[in-house]
Amino acid sequence: MRSLWLQVAAVTAINLKSIAQRRWLSLSTVIAIALVVIVLLAFLAMANGFQRTIAGSGADDIAIVLRAGSQAEINSTVSRDQVRLIEDGPGIARGSDGKPMISPELYLVVDGIKRTTKTKANLPLRGIGEQGSALRKDITITSGRMFSRGSNEVVVGKALQRQFEGFDLGSTVSFGATRWTVVGVFDAGGSVFESEIWADLNVVQSLFNRNNIVQTVRARLTGPAALNELKSYSDNDPRLKLDVKSEAAYFAEQASQTSDLIQKLGWPLAIAMALGAVAGALNTMYSSVAARATEIATLRAIGFGGFPAFVGTLAESLLLAVIGGLLGAAATYLIFDGVTASTLGGNFTQVVFDFKLSPWLIAEGVVLALIVGLIGGLFPALRAARLPIVEGLYAN
Amino acid sequence: MNDFDLVRKNLFRRKLRAVLMIVSILIAFMIFGVLAGFYRAFTAGEDAAAADRMITVNKINFTQPMPIAYFTRVRAVEGVRQVTFANWFGGYYQDPKNFIMALAIEPNTYFDVYRSEFEVPPDQLQAFTRDRGSAVVGESLAQKWGWKIGDRIPLNSNIFSQKSGGHTWDLTIAGIVKGKADHVDTNFLLFQYPYFDETRSFGKDTIGWMILQTTSPENNDRVAKAIDAMFANSTAETSTDTEKAFGKAFAAQFGNIALIVLLVAGAAFVTILMIVGNTMALSIRERTREIGVLKTLGFSGPRILGMVLGESVLLALLGGIPGLAVAALIAMALRTSLANIAPAFAVSPTIILQGLVLMIALGLITGIIPALNAMRLRIATALGRG
Repeated sequence: MRSLWLQVAAVTAINLKSIAQRRWLSLSTVIAIALVVIVLLAFLAMANGFQRTIAGSGADDIAIVLRAGSQAEINSTVSRDQVRLIEDGPGIARGSDGKPMISPELYLVVDGIKRTTKTKANLPLRGIGEQGSALRKDITITSGRMFSRGSNEVVVGKALQRQFEGFDLGSTVSFGATRWTVVGVFDAGGSVFESEIWADLNVVQSLFNRNNIVQTVRARLTGPAALNELKSYSDNDPRLKLDVKSEAAYFAEQASQTSDLIQKLGWPLAIAMALGAVAGALNTMYSSVAARATEIATLRAIGFGGFPAFVGTLAESLLLAVIGGLLGAAATYLIFDGVTASTLGGNFTQVVFDFKLSPWLIAEGVVLALIVGLIGGLFPALRAARLPIVEGLYAN
Repeated sequence: MNDFDLVRKNLFRRKLRAVLMIVSILIAFMIFGVLAGFYRAFTAGEDAAAADRMITVNKINFTQPMPIAYFTRVRAVEGVRQVTFANWFGGYYQDPKNFIMALAIEPNTYFDVYRSEFEVPPDQLQAFTRDRGSAVVGESLAQKWGWKIGDRIPLNSNIFSQKSGGHTWDLTIAGIVKGKADHVDTNFLLFQYPYFDETRSFGKDTIGWMILQTTSPENNDRVAKAIDAMFANSTAETSTDTEKAFGKAFAAQFGNIALIVLLVAGAAFVTILMIVGNTMALSIRERTREIGVLKTLGFSGPRILGMVLGESVLLALLGGIPGLAVAALIAMALRTSLANIAPAFAVSPTIILQGLVLMIALGLITGIIPALNAMRLRIATALGRG
């Protein structure tokens, strides 16, 4: 038994050392596998970044109230009377002044110009209530100040300011006939709110002729468990009939569709490319076996078994695959990790997000590479193991 | 035996290797075909846009409404042949997941403006304009739900509510709209704006966007300026643009699809190019002696060059053509399930032509270095080797 493993080790060492002789063919396999991994990981990093930005935006103890069936904020409408009923609803936390901690909000779409492409894009303008920023976690004004109530002032999210033109501190932006001054920039801990423009609810309502109408109500709950109380309160009052969700659940729903789509595009493409890479790897390994036919046959003639020849060939293939996989992961990390992109999100507005690789995704990429290496090495390895000695000795 | 036979025999000398090459190339062109088909589908709206059609939207953003009074004012602008308008309804059928692209439209002018795309039998169109509570549905949507003329369907809105409190509008199907060309998407439902406007609980007397047709594309600029100037400094300023520009700007919002396509197809191509190029070089090296013999027999350098290039081009075509065929099959299979996002998903003749050019280019690029080496090979060196 021990001698078998010694044989395996010896043949594997010979195989790996001889890679240098076939450096161009081996290199092409490594690069082919690396490219497969890059394509897969780029897609997965995109889906992951999008998912994190949106899913990371919601809290469990914040309720978001929408019109039943509306699915996204943009489609929802909630009347002033309904807002009052929610204020008095159960499970809603109250501030030190005894007032309910809620924020009625109006969500409008305005145009902005994307810096990179100079094309028009849909940006969200959110009119928020007094408690608006307090109801979101990690909101900090990084420069300038918060807008003052009742004025045409806006604060903009950090990500939005970076991606779209004309939102510098102190500048004036106009949406149709209304003009607004940018007085502050806020950081929202990388959440989707960083892609938004915020202004005072009442001002937005009057300047956009949406008096008495809001789209959503956000409320701080006394605890995550209070959500059900508020839900049944809404379900049982015929004047309400609203969808009550936790903010976390709402954003999880919003994120799943787009990131699913990206993944569904990424995996089939990567698999199709992987098939191409398998063909390349098979080719490399068959050539490797052919090139070493005499060598293998000689080893067999002096008493080495078929198994070491099999393992040696497979090990060579797997080594090339691992190198390719790691190279691909490293390249993806260098090229794509942290790249900022934006696309249309569930609310029909731009969501700015960063490509984000994770160790788990890198593992997926390397596993795909190993599968390519395994399949690409398996058949040539079988051939090496079964090579008739006499034929091998006369090869070339 | 002519040169082609030699090329063919050389290519399949090592059958397994040839098959593997063909499979890699097949996959590369399958990816190319599918991605190009997708790309075409995403940009189809842009290509299909009529040159004389323009869209007027609220300047703030196209999701913001404008007063219905604008409709008659735009109609009076010189150079405008016809105007119609529509309003987004946010429709769904039975469950919010069953999204339906539903619009409340101006019934008398809509199909005039879109006459080059849509076809409604005259009697059905008449029935539609006569009955306020009726709707026309696109062929593919009708097929999806099995709707027939005369059916009454409840259409829900995820935005609007009825004055009476509900979110459901009951509509009678008066007609089925057919697309006049294969890329025209017929996954929609259209119903009468007057009925919608008088029953909805908010937003009365506003419309979503206007579609207008100019008397000639040369008038586009002038008409756009005249319309936008007319509403300047009003509460709802407008922005008028050609349908093409509008569609392009909208498509750009999804992120740069063209770039992704280029990136992926490019990566796949580089991979395949490398594999094929390497193998070609390898197989020519193996045949060094033979090439020496051919030269001794009097084959000229250029003739050898042609034979080697012929081999790599043949290889590319043998893999590439079935690859495009597979892509076409995939496109056909996915077409119905992707009808919502990419209605014109297909491998078009243009894509096939581009594919063929790429195959020949691939063959030439992968073959050129081994071919040049073979051509320059000296007989003495060749025969002395191996």
